[in-house]
Amino acid sequence: MMSHWIIAPVVLPAVVGALIVLIMRHDLVLQRVFAMATGALMAAVAGGLLWSASVHPAEAYHLGNWPAPFGIVLVLDRLSAMMVALTVALWLAVQLYAIGSGWDTRGRHFHALMLFQLMGLCGAFLTGDAFNLFVFFEVLLIASYGLMIHDGGRDRLRAGVQYIAFNLVGSTLFLFALATIYAVTGTLNMADLAVKVAILPAGDAALIRVAGVLLVLVFAIKGALVPLHFWLPATYSLAPGPVAALFAVMTKVGAYAIIRTCTLIFPPSTPATGMLFAELLLPAALITLTVGAIGVMGAKTLSRLVAFAVIASMGTLFIAISRFDPQSTAAALYYLVHSTLVGAALFLTADLVSDRRAHDRLTDSLPPIARSGLIATLFFGGAVAIAGMPPLSGFLGKLLILDATRGAMLPLIWTVVLVTSLITIVGFSRAGSVLFWKAHASAGEPADTKDEPLTFAAVILLLAALAAMTVAAGPIMAYLGDTAAQLYDPAGYIAATALQGAN
Amino acid sequence: MSLALIAALPFLGALLPGLMIRSGRNAASGFAAFFNFLALLGIALNTPAVLRGEVILAQFNWLPSLGLNANFRLDGLGLLFAGLILGIGLLINFYARAYLSKSDPVGQFYTYLMLFQGAMLGIVLSDNILLLLVFWEMTSLSSFLLIGYWKHLPEGRQGARMALTVTGAGGLAMIGGMLILGNIAGSYDLSVILTQKAAIQASDWYLPALILILIGAFTKSAQFPFHFWLPHAMSAPTPVSAYLHSATMVKAGLFLMARMWPVLAGTPEWFWIVATTGLVTMIMAAKIALFKDDLKALLAFSTISHLGLITMLLGYGTKAAAMAAVFHIINHATFKAALFMTAGIVDHEAHTRDITRLGGLRKLMPITFGITTIATLSMAGLPPFNGFLSKEMMLEEASHTLWLAPWAMGALATIGALFSVAYSFRFLGHTFLGPVRDDYPHTPHDPGFGLWGAPALLTVLVVVIGAAPMTSAAWLVDAATTAVTGEPAHAYIKLWHGLEPLALWMSVFAVGGGLVLFGLHQPLLALWDRTPRPEAKRIFDGIIEPFAALSRGLTGALHDGALTRYLAIGVVAIVALGAYAFDSGTHLPGTRAPTPIEIVPAFGWILLLCATLGVVVAHHNRFVSLVMLGVVGLIVSVGFAYLSAPDLALTQISVEVVTIVLLLLALNFLPKATPRESSTPRRLRDGAIAGITGLGAGGLIYALMMRDFAFPSIAGFHLANAKTGGGGTNVVNVILVDFRGYDTFGEIVVLGIAALVIFALTEAILRGGPANDRLLNWTPRAPQAGDRHPVMMVVATRMIFPIFVMVGIFIFLRGHNLPGGGFIAGLIVAIALVLQYMASGFAWAAARQKLEYHTMIGFGVLIASATGAGSWLAGRPFMTTNYTYIHLPPLEEFEVATAALFDLGVFLTVLGAVLLALSSISRIATRAGEQGSAEPLDLVPGKEEAR
Amino acid sequence: MELLVASAVGMMTAAGVYLILRQRTFPVIVGLAFLSYAVNVFIFASGRLTVDLPPILTKTALGYADPLTQALVLTAIVISFGMTAVIVMMSLGAYLESGDDRIDMTDTPEDDT
Repeated sequence: MMSHWIIAPVVLPAVVGALIVLIMRHDLVLQRVFAMATGALMAAVAGGLLWSASVHPAEAYHLGNWPAPFGIVLVLDRLSAMMVALTVALWLAVQLYAIGSGWDTRGRHFHALMLFQLMGLCGAFLTGDAFNLFVFFEVLLIASYGLMIHDGGRDRLRAGVQYIAFNLVGSTLFLFALATIYAVTGTLNMADLAVKVAILPAGDAALIRVAGVLLVLVFAIKGALVPLHFWLPATYSLAPGPVAALFAVMTKVGAYAIIRTCTLIFPPSTPATGMLFAELLLPAALITLTVGAIGVMGAKTLSRLVAFAVIASMGTLFIAISRFDPQSTAAALYYLVHSTLVGAALFLTADLVSDRRAHDRLTDSLPPIARSGLIATLFFGGAVAIAGMPPLSGFLGKLLILDATRGAMLPLIWTVVLVTSLITIVGFSRAGSVLFWKAHASAGEPADTKDEPLTFAAVILLLAALAAMTVAAGPIMAYLGDTAAQLYDPAGYIAATALQGAN
Repeated sequence: MSLALIAALPFLGALLPGLMIRSGRNAASGFAAFFNFLALLGIALNTPAVLRGEVILAQFNWLPSLGLNANFRLDGLGLLFAGLILGIGLLINFYARAYLSKSDPVGQFYTYLMLFQGAMLGIVLSDNILLLLVFWEMTSLSSFLLIGYWKHLPEGRQGARMALTVTGAGGLAMIGGMLILGNIAGSYDLSVILTQKAAIQASDWYLPALILILIGAFTKSAQFPFHFWLPHAMSAPTPVSAYLHSATMVKAGLFLMARMWPVLAGTPEWFWIVATTGLVTMIMAAKIALFKDDLKALLAFSTISHLGLITMLLGYGTKAAAMAAVFHIINHATFKAALFMTAGIVDHEAHTRDITRLGGLRKLMPITFGITTIATLSMAGLPPFNGFLSKEMMLEEASHTLWLAPWAMGALATIGALFSVAYSFRFLGHTFLGPVRDDYPHTPHDPGFGLWGAPALLTVLVVVIGAAPMTSAAWLVDAATTAVTGEPAHAYIKLWHGLEPLALWMSVFAVGGGLVLFGLHQPLLALWDRTPRPEAKRIFDGIIEPFAALSRGLTGALHDGALTRYLAIGVVAIVALGAYAFDSGTHLPGTRAPTPIEIVPAFGWILLLCATLGVVVAHHNRFVSLVMLGVVGLIVSVGFAYLSAPDLALTQISVEVVTIVLLLLALNFLPKATPRESSTPRRLRDGAIAGITGLGAGGLIYALMMRDFAFPSIAGFHLANAKTGGGGTNVVNVILVDFRGYDTFGEIVVLGIAALVIFALTEAILRGGPANDRLLNWTPRAPQAGDRHPVMMVVATRMIFPIFVMVGIFIFLRGHNLPGGGFIAGLIVAIALVLQYMASGFAWAAARQKLEYHTMIGFGVLIASATGAGSWLAGRPFMTTNYTYIHLPPLEEFEVATAALFDLGVFLTVLGAVLLALSSISRIATRAGEQGSAEPLDLVPGKEEAR
Repeated sequence: MELLVASAVGMMTAAGVYLILRQRTFPVIVGLAFLSYAVNVFIFASGRLTVDLPPILTKTALGYADPLTQALVLTAIVISFGMTAVIVMMSLGAYLESGDDRIDMTDTPEDDT
């Protein structure tokens, strides 16, 4: 059965984005309406795809009606459906916040760029073609460049230049990797690669290993793995709050791509690569987690603190990913969703604070702010979640990962995970008590009481999603368990693309 | 009532007070009290069954794949603790209502309090150790909120953070321990684990698990050396201290040890670790308590001491000791909670808790005095109060426990008891006895019933249990002990055992010695003050603060914004890992015959080398480096042409032109030279990195080119089907607009977005702010050309413009079959327009620019999307093309493909994007005061005023 | 021929890497341009080298160069053009905002507390 809906998450935002540029670029209200409407529509589509993926086997969409591997295919399976759904959900919350806080009024083309960003993300998650993955990486990147420097300003622009420069190097690396892959295997279709890399002549092993490592390094840049994470703190802390919140899913693109390539194209069973990626990822992940936690302890502004918390969460995530077995991957996916939502919630909370304060420095405290109580509660919730304390999903995620990482490395992994959790807890408690408690010591009335219900609604929605993830952990893990199983049995994926001819 | 419901009730009770913060204390406390009472009722309803020896279970699946289930159990031990938590909770609720002042946010208080109660109740009702962990950590969090309740007090904030850090650390250690325990037992359900004693104690992982779990228990129950957080937690409001830090939370650790007693206790490791820790804690804390002047601090250390006592008893690992422990848990909760409340009353009335400023309150507050006296004597372990009974049992057990020497344990236990007598008398004596003073901060008198009611009720219990232990408490002790030890227990508690038992004489000695110490307090205090001793807070801060500073320094140094270092690290990492991957794999060199080298390309290669070196060497002179960059691009495109890639050559060259123009225009506003600021070592380092990377890239592509595809390339299909399936002979173009048209779709979106970004950026720059100011008073550094619009150039560009456009259209149309296509065409037309800008200036050209760039871009993307989606009508997937041949005389037959329409979208987007980018720079230029005259020429015939 | 192309790729990569490690935005942009030349040639060469065999279908052709890699390079060129345009404008903006075209932000806001 072939449904055109698979392509909708890409075409829909592209068309609406183009329409906004074409006819309503001077009418913000129309832009808001159309953007949110598109979001709602996308949510419906994403929900439908999620359902379809959970009841049907993997399903391919042959663009241009050309047979794989010669044309480009999109593939909908549980993982891609889940990532699309997550992205759309996050996007909606961020839009809500951006509209509520008026961020979208502070520069041009915000909604068009948001839509193209959404298109790029969905395209990257859905594609089944390695080079097309590159193209959509570029789409989502260039949109993110625009969003990152939205509203301009000295530091933001300088950070923007750095962000672009670093990622352009990454894109170049991506092309080197793809060209190598093609030069060895003569194909770009991921399913086809899965088939061919598995039976590659021994003499080509070294070259395909190089290609694989370069590819994973590209994704590691996106996923902010040490030592390729340096671009993240400045970018995320200087980007507009809602944009930083949306970027919470950008790091996950890297994680997704690594999960995809390392389960489909380079599974541990492949003779050419074997456990190469597991060996490289685990140490990097452990260091990343440590660097992130220390950053949480040492950050001087709230937004940087959150940025480092995101790095730490990527470390935790990659620890689980680097195991490459179904149980760990299921745990990783649960943690992936959790950390995306909580990261976004915290960036938005940080924006709520810095929006009401002259600065969001943690070194010196300012008089209490308007709605301090509510904001403090939101911050507390987010902190509890990202530090992996109960009752929110972070705790379950951590338990799942600890439980999955049995074996020889257990003592090391557990020590790092538990000690860094403590550091994170201490870091967040210090920050919170400076931001929200110490403020009450310094006299002075709350500054202008700006009331923006939508902004709070957005954050509360995100936290509510975390609570839902906690309560519904059972069914969710059931879905993710099947997802992991599907990933480690690529036959279905390959069958879906209906490879033809040359092999 | 179902256990799950009971466990949920306090959380429900937490909801409203928080939401109705404004609604005043009565609403908040009443609402909380109601749910508290309901929960207590629920427990009461289950009590008969439990006393019959049943274990009540309620099980729900939560996260089966992990083994985390919402399973609750109620047995004797749970009953005992649930009773304490809910019973005392109710009293605290009542007490706090009167204690808190009008200004305190009462709603918040009751929310936190009920959250804590729920977490605590959850711990004692959990039948799943992972579920227990969830509640365990929640107690740390809620106590953090409660200790920091008075936000304005620095000691409150610090105390809260210290408590969270210590207990949080313990909780994390316990996570590890519990996971290990579950792995050994094969389940996280207590009902299973409790049956696995043999397996657990035999396992290699027993000791790690034991230690990790004990760390959790000891931190929570403030056992040495983790005891230091408790005194600092006393900055919490007194109701909190009374509830969390005497009756309930600090007992969570004891509960855990009792809970795990059946499977963990009975081994030497258990005995030595637990009993010793308990003993040390008991004596040390009791001694410190003797010298504390703050009433709450004194009580805090006394609490630590008593917790140590109970820990020690649990450590003994005998049934009798366990029974004594259980009994003392009850007794301590009663008298200590009462004492905290009275301390709070004194504080509330006299506005101080400093013993040295108190004394003689006996006459001013008789009721408080009465309550305090009974509770204190019980704390001191004097008959006929309940403290005496359990202390006797403790001494009895200690007296025949072998620890180091036969007598050691007994003796030390007596010492501990002795100290506790001493500080108890001091607490009572120096606060209430003695002459009435006239220098109280505020003249105290007995408070209303609201404050003394709760402690009074507790002291009644103290008396009753002391007088009639068998009827009042034995049944509960039996039930709890049975649950702890796992075998039926029957307590036989009575006041008077005759003169034989050693314990009696031990306590007589303790009381006597205690009185002596009390008498000698002054000299001892002087001695104490002279002896140096570690101050917990200083040590704690001495660990945390340097670590924080270190983290700040480390993080700052690592992420100092030096992109050049980031990139250097990144490049090195990439090259190194790539090399590792290659080196660790098998490699067979390729067998492809090399294509012969001819003169022309060799010459081009040398040219390229020179140009490249030129750029690197001369990169400080930006203009020169730009020109040479152009040369490099030129050579590359020629190379493409030579190596049978005409499309690439065309694209490369046209992109080159536009890029260089763009860079030139930008350079107009950037510094013209790059200062030499890198040190020689730095340049050498970068040179080395660059060289190695270059070798890597070159080597890699060489290795690739010299071998054949491992499998036939998919390009074969494209060649075979371009004409038949795609309707074009230029395979590259057919791939672009058909086979991989979806890539091109993404590609033009990228271009469109790029233009939008540039536009938005320009708007942000010109909107005002430093950039705008800088532009407004811009003084061109380089002297401007004499005539900005040279006649020759103007004329020339005018003449070639139509030609360019023609060429563009031609290239566009033939694209499908011969080199060309929408992209190249777009660039060529763009260049034609750019030339007009250069010749006659932006203003003039813009004035003749009819179509808005945004429109072009939006329109282009829409056309492309529409063409792609059009195939849906035919029920085909996105981007399915279709073509037909049309023959209209006199023209020869030509073919029309939907792909051409798609290519039109590409054309428009490219054109719009390029022009929008360039026009943005021109806008900046205009803002910088380059008067773009609206005239085509500087000197227009017949218009004298033009210049 | 292969040797020439490979060494050319090496050269341009090296030049690009050296330049992106400079401390001002302009040389970094030039360096990125170099890298994109290098990688374009790299992709192109990954389709193996052929002379006088353009992938234009004719009756008489003896064979064809790999059209796919050429298409990929085309896409890559276009995309890198867009990226270059953006980073050029952004560095221009950054320079105008801060009056300084250093690429390192050693004076990040969090440091001037």
